[in-house]
Order: sequence, then structure tokens, then C-alpha cells
Amino acid sequence: MEKIKEEIRQIAREALTGKKVDIILAWEKGPLWYDSYPAFFTKEEEVDSLTWDSFCINNLSKYLLEETMADKKVGVFVKGCDALAFNQMMQDNRIRRDNVVVYGLPCPGMIDPDKVRAKRLNRGLTEVKQSGDELIFVTKDGEITVPAHEVYYDKCLYCHYPNPVVYDQLIGEKVAAETALDRSERFSQVEALEALSAEERFAYWDSQFSKCMRCFACRNVCPACSCERCTFDDDDLDILGKAREDSEDQFFHLIRAYHVVGRCIDCGECSRVCPQDIPLEKLNRKLIKDINALYGEYQAGLDPSTKAPLVTYQLEDADSFTAGEKGGKGT
Amino acid sequence: MQRVGVFICWCGTNISSTVNIDEVVAAVKNMPGVVYSKDYQYMCSEVGQNLVKDAIKEHNLTRVVVAACSPRMHESTFRKAAKAAGLNPYLLEIANIREHCSWVHKDKKAATQKAISLTKAAVAKAILNQPLIPGEVGVEQRALVIGGGIAGIQTALDIADAGYEVDLVEKTPSIGGKMAQLDKTFPTLDCSACILTPKMVDASMHDKINIYSYSEVEEVNGFVGNFEVVIKQKARSIDMEKCTGCGICLAKCPAKTALSEFEEGLSKRAAIYTPFPQAVPNVPVIDRETCTKFRTGKCGVCAKVCPTGAIDYEQKDERLNQKYGAIIVTTGYDLINLDSFGEYQYADHPDVITGLEFERLVNAAGPTAGKLVRPSDKKKPKKVVFIQCVGSRDKSERGKSYCSKICCMYTAKHAMLLRDKYPDCEAYVFYIDVRTAGKGFEEFQRRAVENYGVNYIKGMVGKIFPTGDKLKVNGVDALSGEVLEIDADMVVLASATQAKPGASDVGRMLSISTDRDNFFTEAHPKLRPVETHCAGIYLAGACQGPKDIPETVAQASAAAAKAIGILSKSKLVNNPCVSQVDESVCSGCLACTKMCPYEAITEKMVEQKVHGKIRRRRVAEVNAALCQGCGGCTVTCRPGAIDLKGFSNKQILAEVDAICQ
Repeated sequence: MEKIKEEIRQIAREALTGKKVDIILAWEKGPLWYDSYPAFFTKEEEVDSLTWDSFCINNLSKYLLEETMADKKVGVFVKGCDALAFNQMMQDNRIRRDNVVVYGLPCPGMIDPDKVRAKRLNRGLTEVKQSGDELIFVTKDGEITVPAHEVYYDKCLYCHYPNPVVYDQLIGEKVAAETALDRSERFSQVEALEALSAEERFAYWDSQFSKCMRCFACRNVCPACSCERCTFDDDDLDILGKAREDSEDQFFHLIRAYHVVGRCIDCGECSRVCPQDIPLEKLNRKLIKDINALYGEYQAGLDPSTKAPLVTYQLEDADSFTAGEKGGKGT
Repeated sequence: MQRVGVFICWCGTNISSTVNIDEVVAAVKNMPGVVYSKDYQYMCSEVGQNLVKDAIKEHNLTRVVVAACSPRMHESTFRKAAKAAGLNPYLLEIANIREHCSWVHKDKKAATQKAISLTKAAVAKAILNQPLIPGEVGVEQRALVIGGGIAGIQTALDIADAGYEVDLVEKTPSIGGKMAQLDKTFPTLDCSACILTPKMVDASMHDKINIYSYSEVEEVNGFVGNFEVVIKQKARSIDMEKCTGCGICLAKCPAKTALSEFEEGLSKRAAIYTPFPQAVPNVPVIDRETCTKFRTGKCGVCAKVCPTGAIDYEQKDERLNQKYGAIIVTTGYDLINLDSFGEYQYADHPDVITGLEFERLVNAAGPTAGKLVRPSDKKKPKKVVFIQCVGSRDKSERGKSYCSKICCMYTAKHAMLLRDKYPDCEAYVFYIDVRTAGKGFEEFQRRAVENYGVNYIKGMVGKIFPTGDKLKVNGVDALSGEVLEIDADMVVLASATQAKPGASDVGRMLSISTDRDNFFTEAHPKLRPVETHCAGIYLAGACQGPKDIPETVAQASAAAAKAIGILSKSKLVNNPCVSQVDESVCSGCLACTKMCPYEAITEKMVEQKVHGKIRRRRVAEVNAALCQGCGGCTVTCRPGAIDLKGFSNKQILAEVDAICQ
């Protein structure tokens, strides 16, 4: 990754000096070991602080929203999941493609700081180096080598698209697309919930949703949540009040899940950023699972020209409202 | 603060017998915004309407709620009353406490509670109603008739006689439809062709009627007054301008292998053919499936013999774009397939025929030149059994639950024609019931029994056994309980009628609904029998349900009158309850454009100034003339940027809140 970081910096410098783009959208290293946050670069000299390491989890596609509409030319670096997000935003007409240069970055996986802390690798940590399937944690007390999959995010272990599905220029070699965990297991937690009775299921989600403090981080990070004005911000509509109310929390989460149905790329960012650890990916995956069952396998963001299952009607579409057809349980 | 007046109708006892009106009136008084309430026996009467008008003026009402029957019945009545009293008609709201409440409930206490809830919801919605002003849209003064049977011909003639252009589109090479295949017509026994062909000629000669035969409607867009239609004219392989209809080509064509559709497969026709001698237009078509020239490239006899050089093997399908103010659907019916009725041997024995085949067998222009003989050995039959209700009134999978309506009468007709031709031939009719409701119908059927000596047997046939050159018909006389065995020479099956196989596709193309049997659904079974739920599209004939000729013709003229009602206007008033986009909120995802069934939503680019910066982005735009107000887009829109005037998200939520409180 070190080598690629230099390559990225070079590309960024050239793009800016050659006026190929007005802005470079990449990551910058912050003061803390796990901090690699999104940053805009407009001048060549700023590029020295640009970074690419195993903490560049943030999806940059969402930051394109404002810039491309303001008719600025943006160069953006995308990982596999960011590329799916890019395509989904393209499908939603939220990015003006002609204003973007997409640099694709094959992604080996990103480190979950919680897993690092659990292994107590963070003490005196100065740097993390990648070496094949292993990660070398450079600390004050020396170097510790661990298998990468032990500290990567769970979602990265399920990732089927580590290589960007869209780019103008690809940087570095493509990585193997084999997932560390069986991809169909994505739905095993959903199936466990489906097996519960309605009462048990309600109790489960009630306990989860009641933790919500409506910070809207899940919405703000979501590449499918890119509306000009979110319906939850419509004060006139009276669907969410200021006070904490269980029914409104439930309402918020169900509407959020339904608003991204058929468009959720399953990047898992919503549950990653949730400060209350609400397992939002289970809700999303339930809907992905149902869409797959009803309308055939569909991966949002794979190809922006594919018709979205929920806004297109075909005669042979399953009619889940008819008892006995697939989908409707009739209970 | 709005001042709401609520008017509660008893509808005689229709509402008041199940809903305690006094309790509703008492509850209404406490609803927020309500300043006046009144109940009356018949709110729709002139006295009732005056109650509304007077109260609006006296109590300065700014919103009105009428709790009464369905808005489909009297919404326009009360809107007019509100308008007369100086209130915008769209500030009035109907609470349906009859169809949605009193008619469907028995428990008076619960029904009263429900009526209160429904009224409360209407009050909550009415408070948020906004004055709406309908726009106007021009009318294309031209009608499209789809289907050239007797229904289509009659409709086209009536509209054309009123002075409007009509395009009559017929799928087959000639207009005429099923009626052209019939021999005689009940109850007068006049020759079908003799009464139909003059109308066909009238239609072809009429300067306001354009016949597009061998053509199909491929695409329909637009809305009442402004339908945009694509008509596919199938390649006839004949230049219609040059052809004189001399018929030499038909005689000389060597490929006489195809079964004649017009003769119900009882004879063969050439690959180049006109379906029947009186065809309109009298121009043949080449059936490219069976034509030797098209199959092998060799032949070309027709082109050689044609004196005018009208044969054109290179002809291609053509597409014609045309605009219409109104569309009349007259696509007719078919007979059901009898494959699953194995007990009657229809598929296996040539002497078991359908009623329509019988028509051809007795017709002077038919395959036997009117000589009624058995198809198998061309011998004169001595005993003929007619079986009614083959597939009709049959709730099983293979049948149709409805009565096909025409079979009782045509079977009586067939039996009479048979006895007329061969007085020594016996005729037996197996029936479940004989239904002869129609002017002169009962008398007609009685004549068959009393004057023609036709043997009517109440009962069904269990099975037919072909034995030697006879058909052994096993049945039961349900009145005597006697088991019957009749050695018949021929059996005629009154097979059920059904909607055309493509009816549901046509319905989808036109955005009109079909019932469970695929017949097109009328807007109201009693009061709007020829209208559909799609404004400007009308129905006539058997595509709407089984029908005989008199009924079909009456309905055709009715549909024509409805269409003329549209065409005679230069402008139509729009429904103001259409969607509108809040551009500041619209994110331009355009999900609404994909979901809109009327293609009323398009995209456009807008420039916005936000904090001094110009942002250029895509938003949706509604064409108010195309929008039908279905509201599909509003539920598709995630941020709620698209809203339906008169049924805004806020209004609907207010209703839900009112009911849930």
C-alpha cells in the first residue's frame, strides 16, 4: 500500500498541476492511528499529506454530491465498495459523470479499530504495514505480525467487489475477489431473525431501535441517502418530533430501510458509524434477500444501466400480494 | 382557522338504519374546526343542496364535508352546490358513510363509530384542502375504433354521420367480424349478410371513415381528447391502389393448403385470399406462411396473372402515427377451445361441430354451398343432436362460469333451419335452462318447439361414442330421470364464448381494466355501461361481455354517442388533482418517471443559487395534461418532493391521524 500511496500522490499532483481536475478527493492522515479521513486537495503542495492505508474506510463517492453539481471537475479515489456507491449515485442521477475522473483502487480490506483494540495492538502503535495476507503492527515495543483477516472489518471479509467496478484509471494490481467468509452467510443472521416469532422479532427490534438517539449518522453516511432534503428533515410533515418516542424511532428505521431498498449496495457503513451499535445491516440484508427472492439476484451499484427492481414493472414479476405466491407468508 | 360545515345524509334508510345519525351529529360538533353541522334525509335533493348552499353563506363556511354516499355518486353534485355558494368546489370533501360503512356493516354501534371516524378523517383532510382551478386542453376531433365487427362498424358509422373523422382498425383482411360468418339471425331469421353487408359498404364509402384492415393498434399514449396511437399496417403484399379485386389471383394460386379462417376450417383457401366474397376492402392479402413464393422463392403466379401489377412481394409492415380524441374498443369475442371436452369427441370426430361451423354449413356461400351434409361423408343427416352450455355456466377449470347468452337462441335457430331444410330429420336439444329474455325471443324459441317439432330435453350429455357411422349420444333426461341414447348423425355444440385471447394485452395497452374472464370492465355496470375507467375510451359489443347482435348494435350507438360528446367539444376541462414537483426538494432520481403509467413525468435541468454558488442539477417535471392523478409517483418519491394536488401527503396523513386518534 505504501508503494501505491506514492503512486496516488503522483497522480494527484499531476492532475492538479495539469488542470485536469479542480479538486482531488482522497484521504488524509489524522492525529490518531486509526484516523484516515476524507480530504479535499486543491493545491499541489497539499498532496504530501494524502494517504492510503488500511484505515481509509470512508467512502468518498458521497462527497461528490455538491462538487459535481457546482460544475467543478473532481478526481476521486474509489475502493470496491466506493465504486458500487458511485454507480448507485449515478443511477440516482446524483453525480454528473462528465465532471468526475474516477481512480480505482483495488482494496485488500480495511482494519476494524475495535478488533485492534481487542487484541491490544493499539498500545504505542505508530504504523501498520501490509505484507501479503499479513499485517505488521509497528509499535514502540516492536513489530507484531497478525493475519490480516483477524483485524479486518467483518464486512470486508464478505466483500465480493474489492476491485472497483467503475474507474477511468486503475491504480495497482487487482486483488483476488475470493471472499474470506462464505458470501451467502451474509443472510444467515437474517434467517435467524426470520425464524423467530413475530413477538420475539418485535421485541428484538424494539430493544435495538430504542437505543437510537437519532443522530442520523447512518443516513448521512449512506450513498443511497443522497436526497436534496431528506423526508425526515421535513418539519412540515410531522413524522419525527424532537422528543424521544419509541414509535418514532421505529418509524425512522423502517422508513430508512425502505427508502434504500433495491438501492442499498450493502457496504455496511450505516452500522459501522452507528454510535449505538444498532445492527442496521440486518434490516438492509433482509430487504436485499427478499428482492433477490422476488425479482432475481440483484446487486445495487454493479451497473447503473440495470433497471432497479422496485421502480420497474415486468409482467412476470412476482405478485407477493397473492397468497401462496412466493413472498407473502399469509400470517 | 378554517370554518368547517358538516352535512350528514340519512340516504332515506340506507345510512340511517345502520348508523345512528344523532350520535354522528353529536360527535361532529366536537371535531376541531367544525362550526356547523346538519343532517337531512336526502342531502342530494334540491332541499338538501340548498341546506349546504345556505349554510356556506350564513355561517361563512370555508370548508364543507358531506357525509353521504360514495363520491362517485354525488361529489360533483355537492361541488356544484359549493360553487354556487361562492366556494371553490375543491374545498368540499365527501365522507363515504354508505358504501364504506352502512351498506357493509350490520352492527349499528360499530357502524356508527366507523361513520364518526370517516367523517372525522374527512374533516381533517378538508381543513388542508386548497382551492384548485382546472385547466383546459384541446380535443383532437377524430375517433379511433378498434375492431371491425358489427359493433365497430356501427360505432364508426354513427360517429362519422355526426361529422367526425373515424379510423376503423381491423386485424383481419376484411371488416365484418363474426356476424359476416353467420347464416341467419334470430329472432327474425333474416340473412345475416343481407343486413350486414350494406353497413360494410356504407362504412367503406363514407368519406369520414378510413378503414385500416389487416392492421393492429400497437401503442396508445396520451389521454382523453389527445390520444397518440401507433397503428401497424401489416404487409398485405398487394398494392391497394392498383388492385381491382378481380380475383384472378385467388383462382390461379396453386398453394391451396391453408384452412379457411372464415369457413371455420371446413374448407381450404389459397395463400392469396380474400376471406369472403363481400369482403371490405375487396383486396386480397398474401398469407406469407403458406405462400410458395415466400416459402421457397419460386412461384410468383399471382404476380404473373395480375392484370394491374398490384402484387408486391417486397411490401413491408408500415406504422402510422395518428392522434385521436376518443377511442372505442370493439374487439369482439371468440369461442372457447374444446380440447378439454373430450367426452363430446369434437377434436376426434368431424361430425361433431360447433354452432359457428353449423352456420357455415347451412350458408349458401359456405363450403357446401348451403347443402347441409355431414362433414365426414357428405351425407344428409337424419338425426342431429344439439348440446347447449358446452363450457358455459361451468364453474370447473375448463369452462366459464357465465352464461354465453346467445346459444339458447342460436340453437333454436339452428334446429329450425334444420327442420326447415329437412322436415324428416329429427332434432334434439339438450339444455340446462332455456333463456330467452329479449324482444320476440321467447316466441321464437316456442316456435321451434311447437311449430318445428324440435325435441327439447332438459339434461346434459354424458358422453358421445362414435359407433359405426353414428354418434351414440348418451344423456339423461333430468325431468323423467330416463337415460337416453340417441343414434345421431351429427352433433352441434353450443360452445361457450370467451374474451379474445389478447384482450388483457389490449387492456394493458389502453390502461383499461378487464374482469376475471378478461372481458373489459365498464365504468359502472348499470349507469356507465359503455364507458371505461379511462376517460375517452369506450366499449361496445362482446368484448365487454357476451352479447347478441341487437344488444351489440345498441351499445355501439351508445358508445358512439359518448365519443361524439367528447369530439363535439373544442376544449376539455382538466382534472386539477394532478401531481406537482417541489423542485427545491426533488433530487432528480427520476424514480417517478419510471413508475408513471401515463408517461406524464419528464426530466429537466435546473440551476439553483445556494450560498452564492450555482448548482446545476436534474429534477422531475409533471405534464399536467398527461397526469391522471393516480398518485403512484407520490409514494415512489422518497423525499416527498412530488405531491398530488387535492390528495397531498399531508392531507392523507391528517386523515390517518384523525382515524387513529
